[in-house]
Amino acid sequence: MSESAYDPLQPAKRPGGKPDEQPKYRVLVHKRFRRLYEELAPRTGLQQAQQFWDHVAHDPGSPAPVASTCILKGTAGRPKGPGWSRTVHYEVTGAARIDYQFCDEYQTSTDGDLHPVVAILTINYSSH
Amino acid sequence: MTDTIFQASDLANKRTELLSAARSGLARLRDKDGTSLVMLPESKLRLLEVLSEWSRALLRLEALISRDVTPSISDLGELAWLRVFGAEDLQEFMSDLQASLVAAHADGDVATLDECLHAWRTTARQLEDPLRRSVLLGRHEPADFVEASRPEHE
Repeated sequence: MSESAYDPLQPAKRPGGKPDEQPKYRVLVHKRFRRLYEELAPRTGLQQAQQFWDHVAHDPGSPAPVASTCILKGTAGRPKGPGWSRTVHYEVTGAARIDYQFCDEYQTSTDGDLHPVVAILTINYSSH
Repeated sequence: MTDTIFQASDLANKRTELLSAARSGLARLRDKDGTSLVMLPESKLRLLEVLSEWSRALLRLEALISRDVTPSISDLGELAWLRVFGAEDLQEFMSDLQASLVAAHADGDVATLDECLHAWRTTARQLEDPLRRSVLLGRHEPADFVEASRPEHE
């Protein structure tokens, strides 16, 4: 009897496989929301969590293809400093809400390299 | 405003013309007791209702802000969701609302206004939580951030 390649205990691969390109942006999360970030995949599902990460790591300034986004208003939406974007509010099908800003030329110290980063500011799982 | 005024009997005799006038924007109909009635597309009625509701809200908010005292929740009433915002943000909200009302009137569509209100309401909800509020309104400190790797398992 031939051996089947199907293994019911093996999780299905992520649709589309891994992204071909290297991420453009380094993704950071605020320390106070690190624990909530670790809960992203268990709470929203691996596919949604990866779609969020891929979106912010490659093209955080464009509308997300599979989530609803808006720009926060008032002081909460203002850039954190020169070069930073306004605050983007990313909603994962009502299950999670993530606020982030991105900067194309981020420098952690005055003599540090300039590199693009995304800073995840807040995460919450309560429904509005 | 249309010149044609339909009569109650036209509901049976000139139904097609009446509906056509209503679809085009507005149909006027005189009831048997002389009452003037109008029929218009529901989208137009909604536009008028929304413009009226938010114009009143804007006037009320302007009056509250002009007192130079932070409005209380009871002052704000149905606008109580705005309580999380400081004076500067409230001014920005009023300016945004005014621009969106003008755009909605000009476009004959509430989409711009809905979008504006959605973004402000979303912001208000994010600011309700003290931790989220402190991070969203605080300064950026590089030391506060750590690497967020791509999720690879649930």
